[in-house]
Amino acid sequence: MSAAKGVGDQSKTGPVKDAKPLKSAMAAAQHQKEWFKNAQERVRAGEPFCLANADTPHEIFLAMDDIPIVMMQWWSAIISAKQLSGYYFDRMGDKGYQKNVCRYCALPLACAIEQDPEHEPWGGLPKPTLLLAQLSCDVHTKVFELLARAYNCHFFPFEYPAPAPSYPRWWERLEDDWEEVIGSHVLDLRVEETKALIRYLEVSTGRQFSHKTLLEIMELENEQEEYFKKIRNLIAETRPCPVSLRDQLAATMNLQWHRGTQWAVDHTRMFYEEVKEKADKGEAVCKDEKIRLMWIGRGLWHNTAFYQYFEEKYGAVFTNSMYLSIAADGYIRHHHGDPLRALASRHIYMGYCLRDPEWQLNEAKRYGVNGAVMIVASNCIDSVGNMFIKMVLEQGGVPVLPIYADVVDAREWKDEEIKAQVSQFIEERCMP
Amino acid sequence: MGPLETMKKHYEQRDVAAQKWKKQGGKVVGYVSDDCPEEMILAAGLFPFRISGDPASGTAETDKYTESFYDPSVRSILNMLLTGKYDFLDYLVIPHASDSILKLYHQLWWIHRVDPSKQFPPLHLFDIVHTRFWQTGQYVRDQVRALKEKLEEWSGKEITASALARAITIGNENKALLKQVAALRASEPAHLSGVEALQIIGSSMVMLKEEHNKLLSQFLKGASQLPAQEGVRLFIEGSDLDNSQFYELVESCDATIVGENSSWGNRYSDDPVDPSGDPFEAIAERYHLRPSRPRIQSIEQRVAYCVRSALEAKAQGVIFFLYEWDPAPSWDQPDQAKALEDKGIPSLSFNMQKYAMSDRDRETLKKDVKQFVASLSKKKKH
Ligand code: SF4
Repeated sequence: MSAAKGVGDQSKTGPVKDAKPLKSAMAAAQHQKEWFKNAQERVRAGEPFCLANADTPHEIFLAMDDIPIVMMQWWSAIISAKQLSGYYFDRMGDKGYQKNVCRYCALPLACAIEQDPEHEPWGGLPKPTLLLAQLSCDVHTKVFELLARAYNCHFFPFEYPAPAPSYPRWWERLEDDWEEVIGSHVLDLRVEETKALIRYLEVSTGRQFSHKTLLEIMELENEQEEYFKKIRNLIAETRPCPVSLRDQLAATMNLQWHRGTQWAVDHTRMFYEEVKEKADKGEAVCKDEKIRLMWIGRGLWHNTAFYQYFEEKYGAVFTNSMYLSIAADGYIRHHHGDPLRALASRHIYMGYCLRDPEWQLNEAKRYGVNGAVMIVASNCIDSVGNMFIKMVLEQGGVPVLPIYADVVDAREWKDEEIKAQVSQFIEERCMP
Repeated sequence: MGPLETMKKHYEQRDVAAQKWKKQGGKVVGYVSDDCPEEMILAAGLFPFRISGDPASGTAETDKYTESFYDPSVRSILNMLLTGKYDFLDYLVIPHASDSILKLYHQLWWIHRVDPSKQFPPLHLFDIVHTRFWQTGQYVRDQVRALKEKLEEWSGKEITASALARAITIGNENKALLKQVAALRASEPAHLSGVEALQIIGSSMVMLKEEHNKLLSQFLKGASQLPAQEGVRLFIEGSDLDNSQFYELVESCDATIVGENSSWGNRYSDDPVDPSGDPFEAIAERYHLRPSRPRIQSIEQRVAYCVRSALEAKAQGVIFFLYEWDPAPSWDQPDQAKALEDKGIPSLSFNMQKYAMSDRDRETLKKDVKQFVASLSKKKKH
């Protein structure tokens, strides 16, 4: 089995037309590796460790003397980038699970059931002492129950109250008016749950939760996410696009995992300064940019080089995806003296906001894209609703091509076929 | 028409009673799944009507707006809403019973957004969340309160505690009678086919409960005359089947379905509402905590439920029937099959099945069912 590089590793980047890989992206990827190694050592030395879904408040763990926490989706992306997903899903099949089980969240489970750190990327995930997720999908209860069994630890679930269908232009209100946008009854429940989590962690780890630290974390996060907003706005308005999507994904995600720290603020500022410099110098992903494309859906973790093909063939550049946009629009919270409640409002509907067709249209317009390619994983309930994104974007004048594939399972990726689909889409629907 | 034929008619033409009620000037509230407190609708003086899909209705309209890969029975419901099959509904309550059902709520909103000509009955989301925690129970109580207010607005009259208590009594009586029906299936030999059982149970959700209770009492009086069902005894586990096509197929293969884990089957009559104390509290507690709610059951609990029910029904074998794109129960299946095997109950699993079966699907399924049934018959003889 060939071992590919991890997410954010730049060594696979081919000959881009102009721009050099971002130093900040490389630094962030390197930092993530070092952080993980350090976390492995700390857990080996007996520290607690949490495996959590990305839409949960890792800030709580940071405010408890920095309990190490890893996000399921990051771990899934790493396993996938190492081209190990096929191996693990085959093992799941051997154990009697349906062959169309969902992939993104199930990959860490497949890995956990195998219990073979030698085979796992980066020396293996430390054994969690706690699992955390909000139940925004019926399969989460199953996956986390099985994970808890495999790791012999507790699963702490947050409820997922139903979101309202759409709050008009929430992205303009969320920073300050989060109480109104999210809804008080939902926040009441989530705050209670968060307090219960804090108490549980205090009891089980013997550590103290620091309110003062949480306040500092919230401030640092606002500072960091403001940089993301500046980066997003800059990339959106700069022609030609100064930063590849691959670089954007690597830098944004690795920096987001460390949000709430001074390191993350400093490096996001560095990310901004680099982008600004590139924009000022007129550096471009593709000097002869002809087409701007938006990527809708999760990052293509097993093949982030995919995006580059169309730069070379058509001067078609993938300018944006949800990751940087949600950093800009979904994270900042002015807490008005109640950081716990503001924190609750950050995570609860993050996933729902990401799939809001009106927001996606707003981002498409902001970046001035000629079309959008939307990845749809037909094994995941989260993809249901994507057709509305397509309809709303197309009503707004942005053509959309859905491609049906999984972002972590390389076995089902038909490279030639998909490139042909995207090529045809560019030629027939995006070319001016 | 005898009571069984009457219930069969209501199962097959599900809107008959609701249409009649409407003609008399009444209002009909449609609801999805068994996670909606139908007792409250009844107590408001409205007709509670559990809506379902229909494999024969196709999905052409649904296909225009949604992806193909989520619970096919919910897709079918959407198609029926879009094609006017449910035009007699005055209102619609959608509980947060599963991902797909919550999607249905959002889809109705978005369909109207992209195509304002599409109209649906006024909606209410009953946000019955996931876990059995006490805190969650407080949230569910608030949801029951919100549902009460909405039903009162729709009916123009207050839901009093005594009206609700009466609706609970009627509902509990229905569940108790249905348990007697379940006993007819569990007896050896069984005295009811699985198809008949589905008709009896399903008709309860599309008729006024008092009417249904009368039919059930009449039917049970004559139960001693029912013919013995001599087929191999099978239990059905997996997706919630809102129609009888699979049962018909199985029972055409010398088998009798003696029980199932389905909200359209025996599970519907589990867990009556506690009739003592405040009826609103009792409703909140029942709908939040009932053990028969698969969404809050762990895999371990689902395994225990399946094994216990199969043993109680004295099943010789279990068939798992799982729709494609109904992922949650498919995660339970490997553990359930293993636990059944440990108890000496063989199982057969049909994964990724279509909601609307083609002739070819039927042929393939029939071949496998026949083989399974034959292997169980042989086992029994030995
Ligand atoms: S269906 Fe999608 S969101 Fe749900 S557990 Fe699977 S991959 Fe995750």
